[in-house]
This record gives sequence, C-alpha cells and structure tokens, in this order.
Amino acid sequence: MDAGENNVLLKVDHVSKLFGGLAAVNDVSFVVRSGEIKGLIGPNGAGKTTLFDVITGIQPPTAGRVFFKGKNVVGMRPDEITSLGMVRTFQTIKIFEGMSVIENVMVGRHSRTRSGFFSSGFLLPRFRKEEAETFEYSMGILEMFGLQTRAFDLGTSLPYGQQRLLELARALASEPEMLLLDEPAAGLNPYETHELTQLLEKIKDAGITLLVVEHNMGVVMNISDEVIVLDYGEIIAKGTPEEVQNDPRVIEAYLGSGIGNAQS
Amino acid sequence: MKSFFERKKSDIGKTENTYKTFAFGSLLILSVPLWARLIPGNVIHMDIVNVMVLSGIYSCAVIGLNMLIGYAGQISLGHAVFFGIGAYSVAILSTRYSWFPTWLGVIIGAIVSFAISWVVGRPVLKLKGHYLAMATLGLGEIGFIFFREATGITKGTVGITAIPSLSIFGIEFDSNFKLFYVVWPIALLLMLFSMNLIRSRFGRALRALHSSEIAAEVAGVNTSKYKTIVFVMSAVFTAIGGGLFAVFQRYVNPESFHFSVSILFLTMVVVGGLGNVWGAIIGSIIMTFLPSIISALPYWFPFMPKSLTNFGNYTLVLYGLLLIVFMIFMPKGIAYALEVGYSSALRGMKRIRDRISALKYEKRK
Repeated sequence: MDAGENNVLLKVDHVSKLFGGLAAVNDVSFVVRSGEIKGLIGPNGAGKTTLFDVITGIQPPTAGRVFFKGKNVVGMRPDEITSLGMVRTFQTIKIFEGMSVIENVMVGRHSRTRSGFFSSGFLLPRFRKEEAETFEYSMGILEMFGLQTRAFDLGTSLPYGQQRLLELARALASEPEMLLLDEPAAGLNPYETHELTQLLEKIKDAGITLLVVEHNMGVVMNISDEVIVLDYGEIIAKGTPEEVQNDPRVIEAYLGSGIGNAQS
Repeated sequence: MKSFFERKKSDIGKTENTYKTFAFGSLLILSVPLWARLIPGNVIHMDIVNVMVLSGIYSCAVIGLNMLIGYAGQISLGHAVFFGIGAYSVAILSTRYSWFPTWLGVIIGAIVSFAISWVVGRPVLKLKGHYLAMATLGLGEIGFIFFREATGITKGTVGITAIPSLSIFGIEFDSNFKLFYVVWPIALLLMLFSMNLIRSRFGRALRALHSSEIAAEVAGVNTSKYKTIVFVMSAVFTAIGGGLFAVFQRYVNPESFHFSVSILFLTMVVVGGLGNVWGAIIGSIIMTFLPSIISALPYWFPFMPKSLTNFGNYTLVLYGLLLIVFMIFMPKGIAYALEVGYSSALRGMKRIRDRISALKYEKRK
C-alpha cells in the first residue's frame, strides 16, 4: 500500500458515492502531499461537497477508501478524524449560535483538551489550568485573524466576511495537519478575498496542507500548487493551474462545448 | 421588543458576576424559612415553607433537565419516570426493611436511574426533534404503567404509605423547616455544579451541538457521547429530586409520576428560562407556588369564586396555557427578563448618579 509513503498525507482511493441511481462521486482517486495546496474545482453539482463529506466522515462512501496519514478513515466518526488532524469548514457558515466569538474558537480546541465531566463540574485545578490555556491559545488565533476585539461578542453578530474567518479560526484551533476548505471565498468582497488569499498562504507556510474547493478562479489559480477538476462526479483533469486552464475538457465543462479557444 | 429579548452577551467574561449572583440568590432562598415564620399561615392560607420545600425538590428534578433541553437542545417528555424511580426506591426499600436508611434509598434511586438512563439514552438520543419527544413520551408511559401495574413491588394505585422521614446519621429531618435545609442546599449544589459545567469544555460542547451537530462533530465533539452524558446526568438529578419527594410526602402513588408531571417539569424549564442557569430554580418556585396562590385567592379577595380552592384539578390546563404563552411571548423565560431588568436598573441608577454629580458640579460653579 503506497498510502504509507512518507509525503502522501491524504489518499483518496477509488471513492464513489451513489444517491439512489445517481453517482454524485464516481470512482475518484487522487493524493494530496504534505505541505501542498490542492485546488478542487468544478461546476455546480459536480460532487465537490459530497467528496468532502465522504473524506471527513460525515457521509459514508458507497465504495472506495480514504487514507489519512496511511490510516483508512472510512467508518470513523467526524470527531475521530478531527483528532487525527484533518478538519474541514463548510460552504454554508456554521457558527455556533448563542456562543461568543472566543467560545466558538474554544470549541475548536475540543479535540486537543481533556477536561471531563467531574473536573469541570467541581472546578478542579487541572480543569482551571487547561481552561486558561485553552483561552490563551484561542485568543492567539483570534489575534492572527484580527478578531480579538470582537472576542466577547456573539459569533453570529459578526459581519459575513468575519464569520467566514471565524470558522477558519475554529478549524485551526484543533491544530490540524490538513485543512479542507469548502468555498472559503464565497460571498466575500474583493478586498476580503485578497486578505483570505494572504491568510491561506500564511497557513500553508505554517506547514498545514490545504485542499480547497473554490468557485473563485482568481483564488484557486493564485494559491494552488495543483488543481483537480471534477464534473458529474468524475475527475476530468488534473495538473498545474496553467495546464488545467488550457484543458479543452475543462473549458467545455464550464462553458459548454462549441466555444473554441476561450481563454482568459 | 425583539431587541429587548435578543440582547444577550455571552456568559464568558462575567464569571465574577455569575458567582456573586449565585451567592446572593442562595442567601435569599436559604433565608426564606427564617422570615416566613413571621407571616401567620391562617392569614395567607398558605404554608410558605412547605411550598418552598416542594419547589426545592422540583428544582433538583429540573436543573439537569434544563441542561438537557435548554443547553443541549434535546427534549424529554418522560422525566417523570426518573422522578418515580427515585421516589419508589426510597419508598420500597425503607418500608420493607425497617433498618434501611432513607438517605441511602435516595442514592440507590440515583444509581438505578443512572443505569436505566444509560441503557435507554444511547439509542433514544439518536433520534431528533419530534421523534425524540415521542420516544421519551413512550418511556414515561412505560414507567407510569409499571408503577401502576407492578402491584407486587409498588402496591399499584394504592400507593406506599408510612415512609419514614429522612434521617442522616441519627438526625431526623421530620419537619418542613428541617427538611428545607436538606433540600435546598442539595438543589443549590446541583445548580452550582451545572453552572460550572456550562462554562466549561463540557458545556461548550453541549451548546455547540445544540446549534449544529455536524459542525460540533467536525470541531471534535463526540456528540452522541455528550448527549448521553447530559441525559444521564439529568436523569440522576431528577431521581435525587424524586427520592426527596418520597421523604417529604411520606407517601407515594403512581399519580405523582404521571405524564402530566413530565409536562410540569417542561413547563418549569420553559417558564424559568431555557438555557439559563437560574431558569430551573425560578421556574420550579413559580410553578409550585402558582397552584397554592390560585387556591388561596378566594380567601384573599372575597369577590373571587370559591371554586378556585379546588383548582388542583385544572393544573394541566394551566401548564399547557403557560407553555404556549411563554413560547410565544417570552421564549427565554423569566430568569432572562429578570437579568435584563436588573442590568437596565443598574444602568438607570448609574444615569441618575451621573446626573446628580453633574448637578452638584453645576452648583459649585
């Protein structure tokens, strides 16, 4: 099994997901290597989010295996996969309601902390120490995202763009080795998108591997080392951003056939 | 109106205030029997200490339920069964074996509830929303039928009489006054425990899964584990309340653990305030006093119809009405309204103080 190869972090091995007769994901295989940013693009309904759901344990695949750090994660619960070091964000923002910005990030520390029922209920010293550490760590992440001044406001009271950042902050709080981002730039204005791009570069520099689903071609083409194009649940092209951009099948999938050399 | 009820800052960062409020509230409650004696019972037609003991018992029963419903967002319409398990454990053991200490009965009841809720909780909590409500309703019904029909153990509808009073290491808690100082410290300790929990990693996990189970799982929370723990905790707290109920009433029969009691618990949580640490206690005090107040009305006001003294028969109507009214007009309950009222009163006082000092300054000039 070459999934154990030292620089392969994630290996998706012949994964299919059927809904009734419809193959949302059809026999998809690819690898993501440590330290790279991989883009995953494709028209609406191409199966990108379903593929994310399968990789992160939210939906079981109909067939195929997913290896993370050489370990088959199919059948594991999402929280187990998170503690292994693979975390995702959502296309539709899921900020925890009724919780402050800092608490949202602190929930993200869950898999890296241990206080249980009794140590929390009786305020044991062990719990207090860990709680203080969790708070400090989460505050540090908020500072990195420039959200520290809003730490005690309700998470849902943030403007849309900052909610996206907060979700990213929550994911980072679990100290992941790999982040799966589902359309992080959706709904952001050009300025915010630019900021996000820089943040993603920073995250990459911190040694975190990224798999990014994105509609915004500017973002994908800028940051990705390699791009995978999905259409009707199948991979139709892979390669560097330049290669993919010039691939006639990709152009066809996005713009329909009959348009000769539509390049930007 | 909307902004009034939705204005809510998060709990964190107010730690000191929360514990100060707790200390103040505890003192207020614990002082009740001291001043209530000054009010002669035949004037108000109500035994305040007696009602307070009962509301303390109900507080124990619903503090955990508030965690389950208000914080974790999982409904239960069957908690009367755990109340019954607590009460029958004390009743059966202490009447069959005269040597059996009643306080141990309370603990046994909690253990039995622990075991049953653990076994039932895991599969049942996989269900969501209406389905969970239906399943817990079924659980409550099974319990009720068992209490009524297992006549060999529970003596059926006749009930178990002559339950000895609570005695702990030779001290008999045979009066309401004494019992008050057992029941309320327990209720307040349970409250303190759950207050600590809510502000911890555990509580954050509960609130997170309330908002979105998938997002909580991705954040690393094993949601089914946490739901089960909080369900078991609420069942144990309710059983402790049930055990105290048995030594307070000295008599149990299945009617005290009917479906309507589960609804009473739910009403207490909603009226007090879903997801507010004070909600359970405030709700149970209000809901326990309400029937007594309504029954006493004809004595206070001669123009009130005398039939109100038999109000007990219509309590279920009242619960339903209150549930509807609160869900529509005050979904965050009375505890929240008090909180908002208190903080705006503080702000108002500050404004007056500022005004006065401004006036003084003017005068000096």
